[in-house]
Amino acid sequence: MKTAVQMNAARMPVYLDHASTTPVDSRVAARMAEVLNSETEFGNPASASHEYGDLAHSLVEQARRQVAAAVGAAAAEVVWTSGATEANNLGLFGVAQYYRERGRHIVTSRTEHKAVLDPCRELERRGWQVTYLVPDREGLLDPEQVAGSLRQDTTLVSVMHVNNEIGVVQNIGALGAICARHGAWLHVDAAQSLGKCPIDFAGLGVDLMSLSGHKVYGPKGVGALLVAQRRAGSRSAQVQLAPLLFGGGQERGLRAGTLATHQVVGMGLAFELASSISSTETVRIAQLQRRLWDGLASIGGVLRNGSASHSVPHLLNVSFEGVEGESLLAAIRPHLAVSTGSACNSALAEPSYVLRALGRGERLSESSLRFGLGRTTTECDIDTAVAVLSREVGRLREIAGAQPGKVPAAESGA
Amino acid sequence: MNYSELTRRYFESPRNVGELSGAGVFRGAAGNREQGTWVQFDLRCESGTLTAARFLAFACPHTIAVSAWLAEQSVGRPVTRTLPESVHELRDRFDVPVEKMGRLLIIEDAWLAAAVPAIDYRG
Repeated sequence: MKTAVQMNAARMPVYLDHASTTPVDSRVAARMAEVLNSETEFGNPASASHEYGDLAHSLVEQARRQVAAAVGAAAAEVVWTSGATEANNLGLFGVAQYYRERGRHIVTSRTEHKAVLDPCRELERRGWQVTYLVPDREGLLDPEQVAGSLRQDTTLVSVMHVNNEIGVVQNIGALGAICARHGAWLHVDAAQSLGKCPIDFAGLGVDLMSLSGHKVYGPKGVGALLVAQRRAGSRSAQVQLAPLLFGGGQERGLRAGTLATHQVVGMGLAFELASSISSTETVRIAQLQRRLWDGLASIGGVLRNGSASHSVPHLLNVSFEGVEGESLLAAIRPHLAVSTGSACNSALAEPSYVLRALGRGERLSESSLRFGLGRTTTECDIDTAVAVLSREVGRLREIAGAQPGKVPAAESGA
Repeated sequence: MNYSELTRRYFESPRNVGELSGAGVFRGAAGNREQGTWVQFDLRCESGTLTAARFLAFACPHTIAVSAWLAEQSVGRPVTRTLPESVHELRDRFDVPVEKMGRLLIIEDAWLAAAVPAIDYRG
């Protein structure tokens, strides 16, 4: 007999929104439940005066090593946070505040996640100056753009690794070298990266990196900020941060608050599992993405957003000509779970600022869909998506009296 | 965005999509695609009565549903200088959110652009 949950699951639309969040890996969930149910692992990791605290502390440190190993960092460089948003806030406000006497200029790009852009706006309100670089039409930043934007008073550059809307991968290694030469710290939002493309924190010359648990089949509510330690052969200084939270001195004084052991353990295991993803799985995802793109392209009047050659295969962002955005989403919602632009943005009913920054017009930005492929995605899911979109786009175009190639110039132009 | 059952029904299965041609057909359109909402009505009129209606809409689900409903419900009614139902009645019938009232006015403009010239037609 099926449970109510199973029956609901059977009626749910095909999930193609893995860039928004991922289901928790069953092994991760099981380990977290073990910790939650344990009579010995519930201690406060900061309680050094008894065995319960020591045991919880050892679990936290094991998870710290797992996360560090997955991204090429040292365990001591991992600072636990509540997620990538807090990690971004800690990185940006932490550097800005600590080095406020040295300079108050920050460089970032217009296509960053709101968890970077909103802190930058807040810093502007507090007296900092922020340069927002515009990527090219494929979403890529030229490292020379970054170099040209650096000033004497620039203390921080913040550029994301894998873009959450279009999947484009920035050349972080080149930025690391530029920032090191100039003496500016480099923060990278890498919430979308693990399991999709390699991360080498130490090798990239990055000073700060934000990570998320729930993007890689781990739990929500936990993330980390990697804070680079001084390394042999690298710059002599080590980035310093002013904390956002006070009240207990946890995480070397950078992030006060009792750690949620089960969340941290879940993220550690999720990162270990993600780092062991085989090349076969990457090839499988790439084949699924190609199948999806080929199917969508056959509909006609479908434009791909972002660079196809410098992006992860897990993300595909397309715009549909001759279709109104809200109607498109309403038409497919019973069948497909996808995002219009950024999932965080969808409630705002405004065109994707990322696609607008790439030069897409308002109509094409509104009629864009982001497909996030993941471990659970099958060929059947892809074929369902193509069939649904082929039917619904055709229907909406008929209602609109528009055919691809015959739509008004204002819609078809980027 | 949540939609009422009526809105979803007329959005998912709209009748009377398309265009009309021939004698006694009057066309009206309003809005524009570039700004996100465009609606067109074709009304066939015989002796002061609407005998057929078709619509096209590049628009949100509410606008498509209301346009489809108007095209369906108006047949057999006399041609007048008003919508078959007022904008406020349509808002209530379809649970149109207040921020979309402007789209109902576009529907009204398109409808009247077709209906008003048809009033005096006696073909």
